[in-house]
Amino acid sequence: MRNTYLRLMQLVTGILIAVLLGIHIVIMHLDAILGFFEVDVTEPTSWESMIGRASQAIWVGLYIALLAVVLYHALNGLRGIILELTPSARTERIVTWVIIAFGIIAFIGSSYVPLALLIS
Amino acid sequence: MTEEDSIKQITLKVQRYNPEQDSTPHFQEFLVPVSRGTTVLEGLLYIKENLDSTLTFRTSCRMAICGSCGMLINNYPHLACHTQIEEFHSDTLTIKPLPNLPILKDLVTDLIPFFNTHKSIKPYTIRHETEEMENPTAEFTQTPQELETFLQFTYCVKCGICISACPTSASDKLFLGPQALAQCFRYCADNRDEGWQERFLLVDTDHGIWRCHLAGACSEACPKGLDPALAIQLLKRRLISQAMGLRKKQQSSPVASPITETKGKVPFPEFTAKES
Repeated sequence: MRNTYLRLMQLVTGILIAVLLGIHIVIMHLDAILGFFEVDVTEPTSWESMIGRASQAIWVGLYIALLAVVLYHALNGLRGIILELTPSARTERIVTWVIIAFGIIAFIGSSYVPLALLIS
Repeated sequence: MTEEDSIKQITLKVQRYNPEQDSTPHFQEFLVPVSRGTTVLEGLLYIKENLDSTLTFRTSCRMAICGSCGMLINNYPHLACHTQIEEFHSDTLTIKPLPNLPILKDLVTDLIPFFNTHKSIKPYTIRHETEEMENPTAEFTQTPQELETFLQFTYCVKCGICISACPTSASDKLFLGPQALAQCFRYCADNRDEGWQERFLLVDTDHGIWRCHLAGACSEACPKGLDPALAIQLLKRRLISQAMGLRKKQQSSPVASPITETKGKVPFPEFTAKES
């Protein structure tokens, strides 16, 4: 049932992306609408505002979670496309491990900055 | 077909390929008389009988039951016996062998890989009680409602048209294909069967059920009006439910109780009975 679990994760990450990316988009781009509901978001795209969010654990957690689910969703989808176009057992192994390695490196590289900011 | 019946002549542009002579397939045109109701298969039979006896194609029942005459007619897969030439409203028809299958000669494709894939998903009833399977005492019970859940998929004639229409089968040569996956659902949904766990493992591969993009081309092309895409979606639901632990335990049908009383034979009417 390995492929079914991988696909189940694809569905779950798809839903999580909709939620987490939805929060990101609302905060970053719909500040006028938030203002209408009396939620004060001042200059959400400014450097100070970004640094301010990066110092709060909840925001760092949200963005790292978004990074993880986007990486899984995108790379698992990419793996499916590549395997469909190059059907062979050897290619499958190589593609799978290259994608896992790429995912881990991208996750560490991208989550290092917000984590470092939070700790500092 | 007689000359009096013919309304007009149309051109059948048929793909020819003889592996012993040709390096690549080529087209040959034939002028065929067509009357109302003439099928593409009848056109091909006219060519074979009157114009070129070397033209090779499969045919058997001529009534869309055997699934032999699947071919690509005007770039869409059809059963030649089930397709009338008039449907196309064209003076020229292009006829090619089914794509996504190896060509043996002219319009004949190699269906052995297709049948092997079909066999690989164990398309037969599996029961754990071997004694009843080997020495059956009665049939397994099934209500009409239970039969209805998979009935349409029993009408598959294994013509290979769904495989030819499937975009995933075109790109992924190891893909199980809509026919085998629909048959997998057909047996997993059958309450007389207990082999779903074995079949789930067979379709849960890198080139199995999850490679289906739900293009729906198989359902659109199926000459028997089946909906293999629906079967694949329902099978996906079963797999996901199983993975999440939400799958209801399917009660396999019991063996019917043996008939203890039989009605007596209705006597022959007196006027037919011979008196000894």
